[in-house]
Amino acid sequence: MPFELTDLHTSADIGLVATGKNRFELFNDAAIGLTSIMVDIDGLMENRERPVSLRGENFEDLFFQWLSEIIFIKDAERFLMKRAEINFEKEGQAALQGRLFGDSIDPKRHILKTDVKAVTFYKFRVEKMGEIWKAEVVFDL
Amino acid sequence: MKKERFRQITPNIWEIPVDFKQGMLVPARILTSETLVDGIDERVIDQITNVACLPGIKKYALCMPDGHSGYGFPIGGVAAFSLRDGVISPGGIGFDINCGMRLLRTNLIFDELKPKMEELLNKLFSTIPSGVGSSGFVELNRKEFNELMERGAEWCLTNGYATSADLEHIENRGRLEPADHTAVSEKSISRGINQMGTLGSGNHYLEVEIATPENIYDRETAKVFGIDRDYQVILAIHCGSRGFGHQIATDYLQIFDKCAKKYGLTVRDRELMSAPAKSEEGERYFRAMACAANAAFANRQLIVSGIRRVLKDVFKKSDEELGIETIYDVAHNIAKIEKYEIDGHMEELLIHRKGATRSFGPGRPEIPLKYQSVGQPVIVGGSMETGSALLCGTKKADEESFGSTLHGAGRTMSRMQAKRMIRGDAVKQRMKESGILVKTGYMPGLAEEAAFAYKDIDDVIEAVDAIGISRRVARFYPVMNIKG
Repeated sequence: MPFELTDLHTSADIGLVATGKNRFELFNDAAIGLTSIMVDIDGLMENRERPVSLRGENFEDLFFQWLSEIIFIKDAERFLMKRAEINFEKEGQAALQGRLFGDSIDPKRHILKTDVKAVTFYKFRVEKMGEIWKAEVVFDL
Repeated sequence: MKKERFRQITPNIWEIPVDFKQGMLVPARILTSETLVDGIDERVIDQITNVACLPGIKKYALCMPDGHSGYGFPIGGVAAFSLRDGVISPGGIGFDINCGMRLLRTNLIFDELKPKMEELLNKLFSTIPSGVGSSGFVELNRKEFNELMERGAEWCLTNGYATSADLEHIENRGRLEPADHTAVSEKSISRGINQMGTLGSGNHYLEVEIATPENIYDRETAKVFGIDRDYQVILAIHCGSRGFGHQIATDYLQIFDKCAKKYGLTVRDRELMSAPAKSEEGERYFRAMACAANAAFANRQLIVSGIRRVLKDVFKKSDEELGIETIYDVAHNIAKIEKYEIDGHMEELLIHRKGATRSFGPGRPEIPLKYQSVGQPVIVGGSMETGSALLCGTKKADEESFGSTLHGAGRTMSRMQAKRMIRGDAVKQRMKESGILVKTGYMPGLAEEAAFAYKDIDDVIEAVDAIGISRRVARFYPVMNIKG
């Protein structure tokens, strides 16, 4: 399972554990995990796309900004991400660019669930364990 | 058997001494009853003792009886910081800045409502937007939104969405200073500009409740608050500053994270990342936070204007006949500068309340003239199945809890655990059998908010009543709930 929702760290909010064989998988799976808290992801079409370009101070910071961006476009552009095509700058550089594919929020077509307000720093962790990338994050609901 | 690890100060105040954890500057105090203290989550103890390590904290880090684990501060956390050498922490306020409660009284009684229940539920649901990414009915341009965030509920009065009596009965008259739109990012504006007048989701709701005579505990005070007839119809609103406030907190959390080294600040939990209250970054966050607080006051006021429209339409009565008046509007996620006695001297402090309500007693100049004799109304949100409660503030709260008290019932289990135990449609059926109609865009979400996922609201109210940091006035029975 590329991501798992958990209540290990908090009773009021929700945690996410995401893993990936590489940085792209980690980012993509975590973003899909985040979107799945807000909407039944199977009901999303890929009828919209938008560019994405982010730069962080380090890889952990980039991951925080990535998830915050998914939440931001949900409110500001009513855009729910279903899939990403992103490339990272070379190892050691905390930057990514690419495109996001998804759907406009539509209560008539979508099973909308619980809004995510923010990414928190509580228990926030991104690490490479052997060949696997793993991230833990708590979202404020 | 947690209570044996605490020092019992009074029957309902439990202290965790400074030697509990390295770095604690003051003791932590859990304000709760002997019955509830053993149920306190270990994570709450960890979180409140982390708060006790923050620079410039005064007297105690406090946790109210509805305390439960969140991120950074526990929910139900209260802390006071020196303005001279203390900090300001977004994790001590929450992402949903000025999440709060509004309580409305009406002249309606339950018998008038009964034949109109379905119609009212459907019209409220279609008029007050709720759920993921919902947009409000007010279209604002940037200039108007800048005005709204600096003037709060006052903006609503100027633009025909409020009465002057509404403003009188909102904490800070619905306008927190020193709001400054230049402290707010473009991203925050983009997230919030279309969301004014919306409930949001999660535990946010609009509820219609009844003041049954057997649940009025202090009839005289209730009358002062406008609860003046048997089976009176009351409305409760629980929501905050929507994406606008969430983005402000996100922005400044990252700013504080990056400037911590400059100020030599270390925290035990990164979510408690702070800045000195008197630093450029700290002061700028305070101005941005005030903008979010004002947006939340305006948001709840816009919802009230929608409710007034719906009730006029459904009951075919005039404003005067309906008598919809704001009892009070309280913030329960906020930081404010207030004066308290420290070592025999009055000192201005930065009070953080995260899931805690201000509880000012009689005679305080900050509360409406009408309530001077009894104290500030304190609105406590319960679960969908139990309804809310009305308390009043006390002078004792100034001494024990920096003028603060509880804000809700407090969760006993996670949303995921609640969903594992019951289905949303079963909760809906159970509520229907109890005479409560509920409407939501996401049925499984009802399970997350089931009554058993919360502490017993009467138990937590009894605890604050016994400590004396607020006084019980009335409980309301829910008959209709719109869950965000």
